[in-house]
Amino acid sequence: MTRWLHCLLFVLGWMLQTPSWAEEPLVVAPATSQIDISTDFTGADVQAVGAMSGPGDLIIKLVGPKQEATLSRETKLGPFWVEGDRVKMEDAPSLLFLYATAPIVSILPPAEQQKYGLILEGVPVRVEPQLKAHAAADWRKAFYRLKEKQGYYHEDDRAIRVFGNRLFIADMRLPGDLQIGTYTIEILLVKSGKVVGRNVTQFRVRLAGIERWVWKTAHDHSWLFGSLFTLLAMLLGLALNAVPYRRTR
Amino acid sequence: MAIPFGPSLSNDEILMEFFLPIAHMDVNIVLILFYGALVGFLSGLVGVGGGFLITPLLIFTGIPPIVAVSSGSAQMAGTACGASYLHWRHGNIDFKMGLILLIGSWLGGGFGVYLAKVLLRAGQFGNVVVFLYVILLGFIGVSMLIESLRAVFRAGAPAARDAAATAASKSLLRTLVERLPWQTAFPASGVHMSVVGPLLLGAAVGILTSLMGVGGGFIMVPVMIYVLKMPTKIVVGTSLFQLLFTTAAVSVMQAGINHSVDPFLALLLIFGSVLGTKLGARIGARLPAEKLRLILALVVVAVAAKMVVTLVVPPGEIYDMTVEVR
Repeated sequence: MTRWLHCLLFVLGWMLQTPSWAEEPLVVAPATSQIDISTDFTGADVQAVGAMSGPGDLIIKLVGPKQEATLSRETKLGPFWVEGDRVKMEDAPSLLFLYATAPIVSILPPAEQQKYGLILEGVPVRVEPQLKAHAAADWRKAFYRLKEKQGYYHEDDRAIRVFGNRLFIADMRLPGDLQIGTYTIEILLVKSGKVVGRNVTQFRVRLAGIERWVWKTAHDHSWLFGSLFTLLAMLLGLALNAVPYRRTR
Repeated sequence: MAIPFGPSLSNDEILMEFFLPIAHMDVNIVLILFYGALVGFLSGLVGVGGGFLITPLLIFTGIPPIVAVSSGSAQMAGTACGASYLHWRHGNIDFKMGLILLIGSWLGGGFGVYLAKVLLRAGQFGNVVVFLYVILLGFIGVSMLIESLRAVFRAGAPAARDAAATAASKSLLRTLVERLPWQTAFPASGVHMSVVGPLLLGAAVGILTSLMGVGGGFIMVPVMIYVLKMPTKIVVGTSLFQLLFTTAAVSVMQAGINHSVDPFLALLLIFGSVLGTKLGARIGARLPAEKLRLILALVVVAVAAKMVVTLVVPPGEIYDMTVEVR
C-alpha cells in the first residue's frame, strides 16, 4: 500500500511542478525496461502508473513477442482417436492482455477496436500451409481458444484502478512461462468513443544468470555440452550409488 | 524491488519452484524428485529404465515432449550407471551378452533414425509410435502377467516349477533360436545359444529407442527371460548395462542435434532416482524372481491400459498446441 502512496505523491508532485504536463491527456510514469528470468522465476508483476487529464476510460494492451505455434487436431480412425492434421500458426503474439476500466465493447466502437487491435479473437495469425478460408477459420478459432485457456490471451476490466478521475494504477501479472523478447504496453485514453491519448512503452524479457549461461552453452556448443553433461550425469549416478555402497560393505 | 513503478518478482513458493532453462518453464522440485524416485525404484527392482514411464509423466506436467524424451535419456544414463555398478558388484551382469546386445542396438538405432525420418516425412510418426507402444506393451504385459501369475501360484514347489518352466520353454521362438548358426556359450547366464538371437534382440531394441525414446528395457527384459531363458537377476543387470550405453549415446545426440537436454531437469531426476534405485535393488535382492516379474508385468499392463484409454475415450479438446521453445 505504501508503494502506491509513493506513486501517488510522486505523480501528483510531478504534475504540480510542471503545469504544462497537466494539459497532456495522458501521462505515464516510466517503468523498468527489463525482466530477468532466473532460477526462482515463477512469473512477474508489471505495474503501469500514470495520470489522465480528466474523466475518461482507459485501455491497456500488453503484447508479447511473436511466436510460432504448431496446432494438431485429433481425428477418429475406427474406434481410435489419432493425431490427424497439423498446421503452423505464425506471426501471432505469444501473449495478449487487454485491460480496461470497463468492457472494451462498451467504450469503443468496433471500427476503433479493430484499428487498435483490441479484439482478442481478431489477432492476425497466419495459418501455414495456406488453407481455404473456412478451414483456416476453424484452426484460428482453436488457436484463440487454446491461448485463452492457457492464460496467454485474456481481457480484464477490473485490473485498472482509477483515483479521483486522474491517477490510475494497473497491476498486470505475467505467467512464469514467458516467451523471451520485447513486450509492448500500449495505454489508450478513451473519451466518448474516441481515443484521445496514447502512450507506448516497452520492456524486455530475457534469461539471466545461470539460466542464460546454460541456455547459451547448450545452443552454442551443443555437442560438447551434451557429451560433458551426459558424462557428468553418469558420474553422478555412479557416485551417488557407489559411495554409500562401499561404506556399508 | 527498489523501483516503484517497474515489474516486480513474486515471492510465492520460490523454494518449491525452479525455472528450467531448456524446457523454459518453472516446475515443482518435489514433484520432479518424486518422478525420479518412482522410476529409480522400478529400475532397481526389475531392470527397466523407466523411459516408457518418465516420458509421459513429464509431458503430462507440461514439459515439451522433445525435452522430456532427451532429459529422460540423460537421467537414464545416470541412473543406469549407478545401478549397473551395483549389479556388477553383485555379479549380475553378463558382459558377453551385454556387448552383443549393444552392437545390435547401435545398428538398430541407426536404422531406426532413418525409419523415423521416413515416417516424419509421411506425417505419421506420432501415430506409429502410439500404436507401437500399445501393441508391444499390451502383448508383453499380458503374456508376462499370465506367466508370472502361474509361477507365483506354483511357488510352493520350486523343483516342480523349474521342471514346468523347462517344459514350457519349447516355444516356437525358442526352437528357432536354437537352430540359428554361430552357437556359443554364455557362462555368466548359464545358457548356450546363437549370437544371432541377442544381436537381433539388440537391433529391435535399438529401433525402438530411436522411434519411441525409450531404453527398451521393457522389451528386452521379458525377451531375455522368456525366449533366451536367462536367469532373471542376470537379465536385470545385463539390461541395465546395455541401457547405460544406449541412453548415454541418445542423450549426447539429442543435446547435440536438438539442444533439448535440460541439465537441471535431468539432475533433479537423477537425485530422485538414486533413492528409488537403492530401495528397488534392495527389495529386488530379497524378492523371489516370479514376484519381480509379476510387478513388472503389472506396471507394463497398467501403462498399456492407460494408453488404450487415451486412444479410445473421445478427447475433450481435439486441438493441441505446441509452441517453439524460444
